[in-house]
Amino acid sequence: MESFNYDNKIVRNFAFASIAFGVIGMLVGLLAALQLVFPSLNFGIAETTYGRIRPLHTNAVIFAFVGNGIFMGVYYSLQRLLKTRMYSDVLSQIHFWGWQAIILAAAITLPLGITSSHEYAELEWPIDIAIALVWIVFGINMFGTILKRRENHLYVAIWFYIATWITVTVLHVFNNLELPVHLFKSIPVFAGVQDALVQWWYGHNAVAFFLTTPYLGLMYYFLPKAANRPVYSYKLSIIDFWALIFIYIWAGPHHLLYTSLPDWAQSLGTVFSVMLIAPSWGGMLNGLLTLRGAWDKVRTDPVLKFMVVAVTAYGMATLEGPLLSVKSINAISHYTDWTVGHVHVGALGWNGMLTFGVLYWLIPRIYDTKLYSMKLANWHFWIGTLGIAFYAIPLYWAGWTQSLMWKQFTPDGFLVYGNFLETVTQILPMYMLRIVGGTLYYAGVLMMVYNIWKTVAAGKLIADQPAQAPALEAYVPHKGEYWHKWIERKPIQMLIASAVLILIGGLVEIIPMMMIDNNVPKIASVQPYTPLELEGRDIYIREGCVGCHSQMIRPFRSETERYGEYSKSGEFIYDRPFLWGSKRTGPDLHRQGGKYPDSWHYNHMLEPESMSPGSIMPPYPWLFKNEINTKYTAAKIKTLQTLGTPYPDGYADRAVEDLEKQAKQVAERLSKDGINQDNMEKKEIVALIAYLQRLGTDIKVKQTPAAEVK
Amino acid sequence: MYKYILESAGNINWMAIFALLTFFTIFLMSIWLVFRDSKEYIQKMEHLPLEDDATESTYS
Repeated sequence: MESFNYDNKIVRNFAFASIAFGVIGMLVGLLAALQLVFPSLNFGIAETTYGRIRPLHTNAVIFAFVGNGIFMGVYYSLQRLLKTRMYSDVLSQIHFWGWQAIILAAAITLPLGITSSHEYAELEWPIDIAIALVWIVFGINMFGTILKRRENHLYVAIWFYIATWITVTVLHVFNNLELPVHLFKSIPVFAGVQDALVQWWYGHNAVAFFLTTPYLGLMYYFLPKAANRPVYSYKLSIIDFWALIFIYIWAGPHHLLYTSLPDWAQSLGTVFSVMLIAPSWGGMLNGLLTLRGAWDKVRTDPVLKFMVVAVTAYGMATLEGPLLSVKSINAISHYTDWTVGHVHVGALGWNGMLTFGVLYWLIPRIYDTKLYSMKLANWHFWIGTLGIAFYAIPLYWAGWTQSLMWKQFTPDGFLVYGNFLETVTQILPMYMLRIVGGTLYYAGVLMMVYNIWKTVAAGKLIADQPAQAPALEAYVPHKGEYWHKWIERKPIQMLIASAVLILIGGLVEIIPMMMIDNNVPKIASVQPYTPLELEGRDIYIREGCVGCHSQMIRPFRSETERYGEYSKSGEFIYDRPFLWGSKRTGPDLHRQGGKYPDSWHYNHMLEPESMSPGSIMPPYPWLFKNEINTKYTAAKIKTLQTLGTPYPDGYADRAVEDLEKQAKQVAERLSKDGINQDNMEKKEIVALIAYLQRLGTDIKVKQTPAAEVK
Repeated sequence: MYKYILESAGNINWMAIFALLTFFTIFLMSIWLVFRDSKEYIQKMEHLPLEDDATESTYS
């Protein structure tokens, strides 16, 4: 027998970080929810305005709350499943502090409007590099631990950790291929449709391989622990693993149904999304059936209660996901709050409740004490569950209501709700109820903080928990053993096998998209943005307008009636990054150009309610004070030229000159409409107006004569 | 509607077939391999998370 110690301190650190960032990230979410009902809560300050707060919320809960939750669970279970201490305490420390530093950097840069605008990958390139480095440190530490193990076989939870690690590495690298303009700004290598496909291949698999597979690993470890009985079917867990990682990677295009993405890619996304039901439910059933014969324990043990709701929420979300990927259902759900409700069943239910369950189970154990209050934990469970229901149901209702209103025609063929705002004010009561749900859930989290605080105060951390295990014996292959054993015994083989599986899906979808030129038919009249429009576009990106406004009109009559001609893939070839968006809290903007006079936009950005009474859009007063930053305009043009945007040779040197000329024209037009401001042509609002007026106008050029004939 | 589906199916044939074939290969292979595993092995794996329970079951 060999003696060694488990490192509980690192587990404790990640656990506390997860709790702390859960408290912060959910509070920011609550603020965002409040802002949607009470726009004054944007405070008229750039850093606290919804467009910047939303990515802060999503990043905080995904990468800070759930991320630290993953590491907590992995560091606890990996050591015990392999009967060894982590490979290197130093690497554990670097991993922990590195990850927290990245979170801190995100918390600073996102409110400052420093964003790449790729959803869930908003952080700019220096932070992307830091993420890659810390992730590699985690990988070395994990594989080092696996290599010095005292257990021949790798339990299925570890397979999930390995697949998570390799896939997140691949996704992170591909979705952040970008050329830096300066320290806080980069331009993505892919444009338009291709950027959209890579982004949603990433975005969907962030859900799959950050929010799902590592948590399934935790489920396969902690649920049997908490129930004190082995998993229902180990065989099922193996089939579940291979099927899940293979299928998941293909499903990304379901985020782009009915968009300008080529049909074949959309169809692949749909087919694989529907197939996902099988492995997802395999995992859910395996979790729930582990409790067979132990349901009496569920009545009394809050840990099991949390886990049961978590696994059930996983089952609900993974049934709903495939349904939402069916085109006819997606036609209704896309751009609405249905999607928001759906992801929160996953986030609050699956990730949140499983994290809480693990925390209640784990903290008393590493502190060598009992949980301070079972009663309080039970209260947390009930108030949290109720919170989820109050969050999700109103948003489903809101989503259906709004979508049906968008599509409602009069018998004469006109839109019943031609004013988009009507469909927003209609669902504000549902947004209020969502706040109630979020508050309930949050109250539960605060109860947990108190409960764990008291538990920790009553106990003492077993920083180094002694353990004993026999040394690893040289493995003697049995007669008839096959190569699957060879894979599952060896972490590197497992890594390669997982990598091959996920790469098949990724490559088959993405490479043809990049290679086949006619996937994106060119439109002759589509031209690159002018320097002023480019700067305006960067302001649009900085303010997170994409969080509420799509730029992708689907080929439905209800959309072409409301917004104009549907969007063509050829219109986006100069869009780096693409700004299609995924939610319409406000109307689509792809055909915004020329729809209203410049003065309308001026007044609307200054005080949205002056143009649209009842609007919940925040005001943007700083755009009228800040001057357009032309310091990097030339550098941006040069970078775009490197990536193939056809500006004339040497245009970068003349760009600022052109920018000033166009800005003057806009200022003059505003002046004609009676809007005067000192140095108007230097203000950011002018650039933004120029960009908004350009949107979707390139293909309108040809249509003018037809309109005149009519 | 059918015309639409057929039309769009033209250029995805090889992909759809490739995807389906690789999936079924992997799926069938994992099932086949799983059922080759001995009962002792499965039992051992199932109980791996529970092995250090002796020292832990006193809490909560």
